[in-house]
Amino acid sequence: MSEVIVITSGKGGVGKTTTTANVGTGLAKLGQKVVMIDTDIGLRNLDVVMGLENRIVYNLVDVVEGNCRIKQALIKDKRYQNLYLLPSAQTRDKTAVSPEQMIKLIDELREEFDYILLDCPAGIEQGFKNAIAAADRALIVTTPEVSAIRDADRIIGLLEANEIRRSNLIVNRIRMDMVESGNMMSMDDVVEILAIDLIGAVPDDESIVISTNQGDPCVGDSSLAGQAYMNICHRVMGEEVPFLDLKTKTGFFGKLKKLFG
Amino acid sequence: MSVVIKSNKYGITLVLDRETPFSELLTQVGEKFRASARFFKGAQMVLGFEGRVLDQDEQMQVIRAIEENSGPEILCVMEQDALKESFMRAALEERKAVQASSDGRFYKGTLRSGQVLESETSIIILGDVNPGATVVSKGNVVVLGSLKGIVQAGAAGNDSTFVVALHMEPMQIRIADSIARSGDGRKEKAPSEPMIAYTEDGNIYMEPLSKEAINDIRI
Repeated sequence: MSEVIVITSGKGGVGKTTTTANVGTGLAKLGQKVVMIDTDIGLRNLDVVMGLENRIVYNLVDVVEGNCRIKQALIKDKRYQNLYLLPSAQTRDKTAVSPEQMIKLIDELREEFDYILLDCPAGIEQGFKNAIAAADRALIVTTPEVSAIRDADRIIGLLEANEIRRSNLIVNRIRMDMVESGNMMSMDDVVEILAIDLIGAVPDDESIVISTNQGDPCVGDSSLAGQAYMNICHRVMGEEVPFLDLKTKTGFFGKLKKLFG
Repeated sequence: MSVVIKSNKYGITLVLDRETPFSELLTQVGEKFRASARFFKGAQMVLGFEGRVLDQDEQMQVIRAIEENSGPEILCVMEQDALKESFMRAALEERKAVQASSDGRFYKGTLRSGQVLESETSIIILGDVNPGATVVSKGNVVVLGSLKGIVQAGAAGNDSTFVVALHMEPMQIRIADSIARSGDGRKEKAPSEPMIAYTEDGNIYMEPLSKEAINDIRI
């Protein structure tokens, strides 16, 4: 049984591509056969985050236009044998592909893969429509900011209008110190506004910046973000995993301060 | 000699003399093929005519004369114009390929992600080729700047073309039908001197642009 998951947010820059890379890699790490499709035609990034940019010969548009077979365009990951990337085209735009073509393409991939992850572009135009056309469920990424939440709310509405009712929320870039001081919304606040199930919370972690720049997803490593992403993967597969304690460890002096403060 | 058999790309061409009467030509065709019956036996080919315009009936008679003398099986007759056209095209392509690598044009500016520069001839870029940008040329590519994108030289299949860059850190280099990609190492030091990339036996090699390397260039 294969599952098609779209990773979307509405707003740009909240971490769709990073989430796709980490969840895709994490699922592959857990032994699933995974393909990630970059649907952001014209502004592709997923290949860079995965560190596979230099292997691209054919892309999504080539497949849809019949210039090559799907197999020729799929790039095997350099770390996991069961992880593949279908990169998007850089020299075209969103109108190069239609939702019907995406459905046809994904139906072909369904036979081969356990999970098909679609990295959705920002916005709600053609690119978004292409990305959600064939999706069974959605992971909605947001940050604890008013603007990102507003866009996420709009996206959830659009997904429901398109009969995608299994939406889960990922709250990204949480800073517990700011939540504690009351300057940032907590996960609970975000969930209360959006009223969909939370599937994970990822802390604002410098290891994400490092791993993204190196083209090597941090999922499953010892960093807090790496653990958070791994937990999301378990939950995507239907397992019950308790939520991480995202509080950054306070040092000895911090503890002293608390004692006396 | 009023009948000559020539080979062409798809089969054979009969060069027929314009002055000789048709009936005499026919017997000569018969003799020719009888003489080389063993060579042609069982072959299947396309037949073309040159030197003389034949009508349909005459063509049929010639074909019968060929086949009766245990010659090759004629699959179809090539139109005279089509034949000429294919020869013309072949000559043209050859000329073009030569021109592509020895002729060139300049491009000034930085090629950014998503931009594609295509050229029928060699191209010299005064600027950088950024990651995600593509240069496609039927001839050579010279980048007077950093080459960090994708470059294709000899796009029409000419494998004696080359790529030169002052800063050679390409994502991919393709020359004719060969393809090479950058390594996965995290901090590979980019060469600080100008480099040249070329193919040999289908492999792409890169080396500093030394005097020897320049001497080896064939244009």
